[in-house]
Amino acid sequence: MNRREFAKLMGVSAVALSGIPLGITRAAGQTKGGTLNTIIQPEPPILVTALNQQQPTLTLGGKIYESLLRYSPDLKPLPGLAQSWEVSPDGLTYTFKLFPGITFHDGKPLTADDVIFSMTKLLPETHARARGIYSRIEKADAPDPLTVVFKLKSTFAPFLTALDCTTGPIVPKHIYDGTEYRKNPANAQAIGSGPFKLKEWVKGSHVHLVKHEGYYRKDQPYLDEIIYRIIPDSASRAVALEQGKIQLTQWNDIEMFDVARLSKLPNFEMTTKGYEYFAPHQWLELNNRIKPMDDKRFRQAIAYALDLKSMAQRVYFGLPKVATGPVSSATRFYEKDVKRYDYSLDKAKALLDEMGLKPGAGGKRVTIKYLTPPYGEIYQRAAEFIRQSLGRVGIDVQIENTDVGGWAEKFSNWDYEMTGNLVYQFGDPALGVSRTYISSNIKKGILFSNTAGYSNPEVDRLFEEAATSTSEAKRQELYSQVQKILVEDVPVVWMFEQAYPTFIDKRLKNVTTTAIGVHESFSDVSFG
Amino acid sequence: MTAVSVDAKGDRVFAIALALAGWVIKFIAVVLVIATFNFILVHAAPGDPAQVIAGQSGASDEKLLAQLRAEYGLDKPYPIQLATYLKRVVTLDLGYSYRQQRTVASLILERLPATLLLTATAFSLALLSGIILGTLAGVRAGKWSDTVLTVVSLLLYATPVFWLGLMLVLLFSVQLDWLPAFGYVTIGVPMTALQRMVDIGWHLILPAVSLAAVYLAIYTRLMRSSVLDVTHQDFIKTAKAKGLKQGRIIIRHILRNAMLPIVTVAGMQAGALVGGAVVIETVFAWPGLGRLIYDALLQRDYPVLLGVFLVMSVIVIALNLLTDAIYRVIDPRVSVRAAS
Amino acid sequence: MSTLKSFLRHPTGMIGLIVLLAVVLLAVTAPWLFPDDPWDMVGAPFQPPFSEGLWLGSDMLGRDVAAGIAHGARISLIIGVISTLTSLVIGVTIGATAGYFGGKVDEVMMRITELFQTIPGFILAILLVATIGPKISNIIFAIGIVSWPPLARLTRAEFMRLRGREFVQAAVCQGQRPLTVVLRRILPNAISPIIVTGSLAVASAILIESALSFMGLGDPNLMSWGFMIGAARTVIRQAWWMSVFPGLAILLTVLAINLVGEGLNDTLNPRISRKR
Repeated sequence: MNRREFAKLMGVSAVALSGIPLGITRAAGQTKGGTLNTIIQPEPPILVTALNQQQPTLTLGGKIYESLLRYSPDLKPLPGLAQSWEVSPDGLTYTFKLFPGITFHDGKPLTADDVIFSMTKLLPETHARARGIYSRIEKADAPDPLTVVFKLKSTFAPFLTALDCTTGPIVPKHIYDGTEYRKNPANAQAIGSGPFKLKEWVKGSHVHLVKHEGYYRKDQPYLDEIIYRIIPDSASRAVALEQGKIQLTQWNDIEMFDVARLSKLPNFEMTTKGYEYFAPHQWLELNNRIKPMDDKRFRQAIAYALDLKSMAQRVYFGLPKVATGPVSSATRFYEKDVKRYDYSLDKAKALLDEMGLKPGAGGKRVTIKYLTPPYGEIYQRAAEFIRQSLGRVGIDVQIENTDVGGWAEKFSNWDYEMTGNLVYQFGDPALGVSRTYISSNIKKGILFSNTAGYSNPEVDRLFEEAATSTSEAKRQELYSQVQKILVEDVPVVWMFEQAYPTFIDKRLKNVTTTAIGVHESFSDVSFG
Repeated sequence: MTAVSVDAKGDRVFAIALALAGWVIKFIAVVLVIATFNFILVHAAPGDPAQVIAGQSGASDEKLLAQLRAEYGLDKPYPIQLATYLKRVVTLDLGYSYRQQRTVASLILERLPATLLLTATAFSLALLSGIILGTLAGVRAGKWSDTVLTVVSLLLYATPVFWLGLMLVLLFSVQLDWLPAFGYVTIGVPMTALQRMVDIGWHLILPAVSLAAVYLAIYTRLMRSSVLDVTHQDFIKTAKAKGLKQGRIIIRHILRNAMLPIVTVAGMQAGALVGGAVVIETVFAWPGLGRLIYDALLQRDYPVLLGVFLVMSVIVIALNLLTDAIYRVIDPRVSVRAAS
Repeated sequence: MSTLKSFLRHPTGMIGLIVLLAVVLLAVTAPWLFPDDPWDMVGAPFQPPFSEGLWLGSDMLGRDVAAGIAHGARISLIIGVISTLTSLVIGVTIGATAGYFGGKVDEVMMRITELFQTIPGFILAILLVATIGPKISNIIFAIGIVSWPPLARLTRAEFMRLRGREFVQAAVCQGQRPLTVVLRRILPNAISPIIVTGSLAVASAILIESALSFMGLGDPNLMSWGFMIGAARTVIRQAWWMSVFPGLAILLTVLAINLVGEGLNDTLNPRISRKR
């Protein structure tokens, strides 16, 4: 007797096994209607993406708040709220034409004033990443309600790449202007202009979004409603997927060790696409201030000693791609023609010998502490793998475990020797890559800054020039150059282009069509 | 043995009132001491909650950190934070979780039923079966059923709870597919109240049994030796000599007297039981306070940590009170000890 | 000598002793039986038991489960014994002070003990280890901190019983210092129940350590049984052997210590021993 038969005797099976009616109607051409059930975890604290940028907030808030542009998987801009845009030849003035008829969920129209308010007043106050970019706006004008003109203080090439809904969500000016943003009572309603609006949020259970009837894109959204269920336990999430109670998972909803098993489900398709904008890059962070890690040869030896292919298989169940340098191959300006560090214990040992680090008792040359990032078991396995690999060339790694708070504090205050790090690239090296290597961003107490303490005037210059250059070709050339230098210097040991499994019900269309995938508005997602 | 004079009754009411007052005082003292202790412990650790939130936002700068610290009162000196905290605890306000953007009380209330259900079920299961099995073993001392029970309880006593839980999952969920392996209730399915209750009960079986096992073993062993002890006392011999039936002797005389030490021990072990629930909740993804405290620990969510630890201590005190009450019920002769 | 003889005649105590000695032997010989580091990835991942060279199978990184169990025995025993010694020091000191001096001192000491008994011990251990960091010394300290109250109560009771005895009174009258009286006169007479309870405390210390490791609060540089089970939890569908064998190791060790403790109890304290 299996569990189902057993359960039947207890009278629970009838509900447990009945599917959820989807209520789909097939109109001419596009299938309309239906409810998308998916997962959100952990439960977001708030849905206003302008005020909180934790990952679950961004995933859910993407349906509620839109921005000027969207991006194709190869990071080319696509129309968002702006139907067209223009950049002046000097690269300083950006003009956006909004779609007509855009309304907020409260029925009020969305105009150029809301865009200017959000991007020049509210976001620079509340959104750390947007602050760095939009504070470059010198002047913003609205010649008419559907036109926005931004004039930058100086040229900044990635400006056009920083207008997605996780960076530049547009909020209603009539609700926020003149208020204390974080304490505004309207935050609970989360009024945006996206294709879905908040109907109900039962804390600890689910967030229920319904179609925004006044949405400006014809016939969209296709879905009637989206239900984000809060399922804190990973095993329960896997079961929910297996039983077809949900039609979509994202990010870490499904643990890597379950991916191979669940990929065999007939009704689901597994993809790792849709994270190109973030392109999470995982590396082994080395504190360049400490001996012997201040020596390039030592860092190179580590790069040689790690068998990343085997690590990807054993620790990450084959999901991620091995990284070759500081820029992810999924984003723009990636340079593949760089020095390679193929697994070689001999090369590693030779470099260490050359440095004069001779093996002592038990073959140990040096002892280094590794601070494990406290984000779950898989980081623990990675730490164990790294320790064993480096142990083979005589680098004795001592693992130190801590909690999230302790890790962030120690790491950001440079009180570490080695740790793991995972940093988003945000579509352009000037947004997500340079911050880790330029010496002007060596800032104590700040995460995702140049925590390794690497400093190279040539690298600084190249990154600076590339960020302000307006020619794509010139930028490519500069970034290729800087990538070659960095890979030679190995300020940190790049390991993986992290991949996240997105499981999609085969009936669902258009889920991961843009570079932000599951964070997208889902206005064109439909069943069939 | 059961007759109580009217005067004695009046005395008992007074004594019980005195005991209750004592409990209340003890309760408040314990709460305050634990609160202070918690606060010092948690704040002695490295880790800044503002950093945690910033770390989850993918970007960080001085301005964001300062904003977050000001928002949650983390920029004030520790003594002021402690004073504020104690004042709020006294007024039953457990604070606000900046991580989850909810009041700690609401978070705890949401998780409390699951933990109470789990611990209460496990506690009653262990106590009841422990008493029954122990009596069985005691009256059949030396026979094979006694030996089997003794060996089993020895084994259970040495089994780590979390491992027992995993083994039960392996057997009943993975191999036999009879019982759900994880969680509290089947998710994403509309259910009537009754179906929901049945469903929760279904999910409760494995965690409750795993948590109860160790205590079941302890109570069985204790009960066995207690029954043996009582059996050799004079009044039992007298009862036997009077020709009373064995069943009647066991229930009326042996059981009642032999249970006393078990109840005392059960009260003393309430704390361990609640601690065990934390591990069991981890094994079974049971959405109770145990998981809440563990997650809060990883997140450095101070108000939640302090709140849950306090509530758990209160549960222990309540269980102590409960066993004390049971003790009074089964033994009318007990003089009410002044609360100490 | 007679105690030893009577212990040797104690059947379950002897079984426990034999099993315990086997575990100790395994712990001592681990570096020869499994000369490789137990963390080394020696084979393919997820190999079932009795695979080539891996009698108990391998884990998700291809580490030898058998090697982990052998090396884990060292950690479990070391932590069990040292943390029990720690709690003995704390418990006996507090219990002896309370029992010897009585009155106000006793009152205060017992209040503290009671407070520690009210706080759920395992949660306190979690909180302690998490805040001061999961290192072996901190784990030992935390287990010591949460396991002393029963020892303190026992010592106090013994001291109160012995305090009024003539030989103690005589020593006090001779003007011997309290510390001398305690160490020379009282403690030797109170030692046997303390030894028995202490030996049982080793078993519970091993259980606490394994539970901490299971929850990810073990020392990450030391292979321990609890860690192995914790790591196995998520892959229990794929690899039952990863959790079954380390659990059996804990079960056997704890059982053996309990049997030895009971055997000791029956031989050392015949007057308070359980009726058999």
